[in-house]
Amino acid sequence: MELRVIDKTDEELRIEIAGEDHTFMNVLKGQLLNTDGVAAATYDMNPEQSGGQTEPILSVKTEDGLDPLDALGEAATGISDNLADLYDRIEAAFDDAAAEA
Amino acid sequence: MSYKCSRCKRDVELDEYGGVRCPYCGHRVLLKERAPDVKEVSVN
Amino acid sequence: MADDFDVEVVTRDDRSARLLVRGLTPAVANGLRRTMLSEVPTFSIDTVRFVENSSVMFDEMVGLRLGLVPLTTPLDDYEVGESATLALDVEGPATAYSGDIETSDDLVQPADENVPIIELKEGQRLEFEADAVLDTGKEHAKHQGGVAVGYRHLQRVTVVGDADEFDEEEPNILRGVIETEDGELVHTEEFDADLTNRHPGKELEIEDVPSAFVFHIESDGSLSVDELTLRAVQSLRDRADELAEKVAV
Repeated sequence: MELRVIDKTDEELRIEIAGEDHTFMNVLKGQLLNTDGVAAATYDMNPEQSGGQTEPILSVKTEDGLDPLDALGEAATGISDNLADLYDRIEAAFDDAAAEA
Repeated sequence: MSYKCSRCKRDVELDEYGGVRCPYCGHRVLLKERAPDVKEVSVN
Repeated sequence: MADDFDVEVVTRDDRSARLLVRGLTPAVANGLRRTMLSEVPTFSIDTVRFVENSSVMFDEMVGLRLGLVPLTTPLDDYEVGESATLALDVEGPATAYSGDIETSDDLVQPADENVPIIELKEGQRLEFEADAVLDTGKEHAKHQGGVAVGYRHLQRVTVVGDADEFDEEEPNILRGVIETEDGELVHTEEFDADLTNRHPGKELEIEDVPSAFVFHIESDGSLSVDELTLRAVQSLRDRADELAEKVAV
């Protein structure tokens, strides 16, 4: 995962996240849209019909003075925390199933 | 080059003068044998 | 995704499981499915050195078949890109099976021993040494650990009353797992996927349960279903962590 900021203002960010595909980008976009202070979030897997650019580009627009990079960081931590919880739940569910069998 | 005669099944060495013909039985059909080297193939 | 998760194993056997997860967004459900298919690495034969192949198939064809043999994968012991060595020597008349393959590491073994590689006639022989490489399904489909991984919404079936007596009874086909009124989880296969078998002469209401997904996960044997699922969650989480770390700098 290589990050490259393309455009950055106080409330807008365009950033290239090299090496990722829909698998992670869609989860990230979903999380951003559920983050307070994020007005818009989207990603493009094939920007400019891919005139050489093939890495996904994430666009974030924020409001209420939230820095878009902070929003991104918050979303990433949010995903991680959620998945940590999910991991434990799934592990417990499999253990329960194994104990019953 | 090593070949095998398709009639008498003997190994045949061909040189550039003898033409394509088995020196033991005169048969003109010779089969090329698979080289004995280990062949590396990549799977993709 | 903020809601609490609730996970339940609906059915499970050796190589497959149905897993109900509540509190998931469609994005995460799909991310998980895609990760299980393309990001969890497994071993697969990648290079073959043929010492002898007098079978009726070309080396490349035998190689392709070998690549598709699932190999058990001890993920704790290997990193992506590392390899293990395998070998096979079978002389006809016999069929060379995946079970005839010898391995350098006991933990890397053909997941099934009855995958036919090729039938050898009298005088034919297949001997090779091969390298199996640990890589992901994104790199090549032969490295996919999950087969037929997918999900459906959980559906709630409620009896709302009796069907009109003179209505013609038509089949009411439904696939997937349903939740009954008393919270029981039933796969529709148990009543032949036809709701009129389970509730004859009743009027039913069927609705998708919000944010509840039933995953069907099947492994090719390289990893257990548990490990495949958990590794997928972990792999997705690792990427979120990496992003958080890089953004923080």
